Amino acid sequence: MALGRFVLKRALQGIVVVWGVVTVVFGLRFITPGNPISVIAPLDASPETRQAIARELGLNDPLYVQYLDYLLGLLQGDMGYSYISNTQASAQVFARLPATLELAVVATIVAVVISIPLGVLSATRRNEPADYGATLFSLAGISTPNFWLGIMLVLVFAVQLEIFKTSGRGPGFVSALSMLVTQGSAAGLLSWLSYITLPALALGTYFTALITRLTRSGMLDELGSAYVKAVRAKGLPETLVRYKHALRNTLVPVITVLGLQLGTLIGGAVITEAVFDWPGLGTLVITSITARDWPILQGSLVVIGVGFVLINIAVDTLYAYVNPQVVYE
Amino acid sequence: MLEDRAGSEDAPDGSGADTTTADPILEVRNLSTQFFTAEGQVNAVESVSFDVYDGEIFGIVGESGSGKSVTALSILDLVESPGRVTAGEIWYRNPDLADDMRDSHPEAVEGEYVDTRRVPTGVRRSLRGPTFSMIFQDPMSSFNPSITVGEQLAEAIEVQRRARANPRSTRSRTQGYGLGRFLTDSLLPSRSYVSAESRERATGLLDQVGIPDSAERAAEYPNQFSGGMLQRAMVAQALAGEPDVLIADEPTTALDVTIQAQILDLLADLQDEEDMSVIMITHDLGVIARMCDRVGVMYAGEIAERGSLTDVFDRPVHPYTEGLLESIPDPDDPAPRLQPIEGNVPSLIDSEMGNRCYFADRCPKAMDECVAEKPAEVDTAGSAEHRVRCVLAEREYDPTRALSGTEEDREREASADD
Repeated sequence: MALGRFVLKRALQGIVVVWGVVTVVFGLRFITPGNPISVIAPLDASPETRQAIARELGLNDPLYVQYLDYLLGLLQGDMGYSYISNTQASAQVFARLPATLELAVVATIVAVVISIPLGVLSATRRNEPADYGATLFSLAGISTPNFWLGIMLVLVFAVQLEIFKTSGRGPGFVSALSMLVTQGSAAGLLSWLSYITLPALALGTYFTALITRLTRSGMLDELGSAYVKAVRAKGLPETLVRYKHALRNTLVPVITVLGLQLGTLIGGAVITEAVFDWPGLGTLVITSITARDWPILQGSLVVIGVGFVLINIAVDTLYAYVNPQVVYE
Repeated sequence: MLEDRAGSEDAPDGSGADTTTADPILEVRNLSTQFFTAEGQVNAVESVSFDVYDGEIFGIVGESGSGKSVTALSILDLVESPGRVTAGEIWYRNPDLADDMRDSHPEAVEGEYVDTRRVPTGVRRSLRGPTFSMIFQDPMSSFNPSITVGEQLAEAIEVQRRARANPRSTRSRTQGYGLGRFLTDSLLPSRSYVSAESRERATGLLDQVGIPDSAERAAEYPNQFSGGMLQRAMVAQALAGEPDVLIADEPTTALDVTIQAQILDLLADLQDEEDMSVIMITHDLGVIARMCDRVGVMYAGEIAERGSLTDVFDRPVHPYTEGLLESIPDPDDPAPRLQPIEGNVPSLIDSEMGNRCYFADRCPKAMDECVAEKPAEVDTAGSAEHRVRCVLAEREYDPTRALSGTEEDREREASADD
């Protein structure tokens, strides 16, 4: 089947990309200043202790041996041990992954739900007040730095109005949902909402603005194209002209950008996570950088890289589905 | 409301000169379409009038930019901003529609005729399909690339089916088909806007226009079709609403020469079978000669000369028509050099047009009176319908009164006089 072969091929390519990511991430440690031994060893450690630590970490081995060790470890799911807490790095990284994914997905859903209707409205009411409003919104959304927006949202909605929580994650979506199912109580879900709404808005605003613009210009292009004239000549109602014909083709580039942005949301939510103290990969990356906790940092970057690759494969597959001119090859 | 076209049955076969005795299916009167651009107001179509009779093929011929396509789009009310149909009447003969409109819009009704320009937008849209349909120039860009050809045909059929189910309501097409309905229909595979009957009919139409393996082809996307096959599919799509008047806007221009002939034959056959009228828009006089009963020659948004094929091809009066005829090769006598018409169609910007003959600057027989006043459309020799917008209809060319021009102009005049 063409689709299966396509996915397999992209997966093989993805493995090569991930290998590249791992190599770069591994190499980073050797070009950045700072010595892991100083991080682990107490300040007054004797040279013998330092030697022992170096041996234990394999730092005395030749570089290629360290590299192969690291690769083999990764293949077995072993990212090494945290220099600080001496626990499994992979356990820490994967413990943070759900929070980041949750925030990225919610921010994307918020963005899609707001931006696509807004973009369509803007295009179909071109040069009317609704269009000016939407254009102004997207300009503001693209120009606003999301850390500032996050702080302002906290100030207004959490501190002044006390509708939402200032920071933290709360119960998480899965436990909130299981609470709803097992106990029939919506309290968990409400609590989840009170935590996630502000970070999702802060993270999703830029994204919303971007997709609004893209949808608007795409719709304008499509509505001006020859086939739309032909569709109108058939006597189809304007609803069908817009949503069945024009919007469908507008979504082709939108899906591409959507996928790329979801990738950056997973990796790049660092600042927003820091503002809201969201216990995701972003905060983990920051703390591991300041602590020079290399295994944690490397593990996080590898997971982010793998996420990027997976999303791209998904987007390409979806892309071919909405655009029949793309042939799975 | 519209599928019952009682009027067309008692009309005689409208070909040749005897059509003047019957009532036309369509009377276009003083149609003007203007584009309001940053450079100024562009008069793309200026006071164009013509009739189309039952079962005839009426040709509109002219260069690029002469306003042919805009005329077609104006009839379908598909002119888009910054353009607008600014004046004129489009009288369409349909006794049922006339009865429906008589009380609510008396000004738009006259006998069996309805002025489609003065009925509400919804009614005008409901005429697309069963009254007017259109074949576009480039089939590749006139189909939605991401929907199968069969689905695109079927939705054109479905829209007419739904309209027939609610004949009294011009709003019926959008009823039950809002955004919410569309979303549920698209998300639930078991539900579909397009009924199975419409899909079957779509396949039948593909058969009718000579597409082999129509059932399989219906499931294919436009990019899987060749240009000729896709143009056949477009013809099928235009037939979906069983139109009274089919407007073919350069239907063969984007196709190979060998395919062009096939499409023209197909159109001629279908026009015969379906007993519809066709407005054939083209820049190719060969197509006109092959297909049409009567023809109008358009120049700069106006009909410069009109009449039967014999009038225009054998007894042209307007130097523009003569120029067009001289610029096509004659297979019997390939020796003489072709005589192109020098220059280009004027910009049509209102402020630059003036009260003069628009062709005078390019005309080998231009005289002083051509720029003094815009010539009126007058009867001339030939059939009763032969009319021309040129001073030469009423007087001979007089070289002593020639409009002063360049050296080449005078040379061209000399050769034209031979």
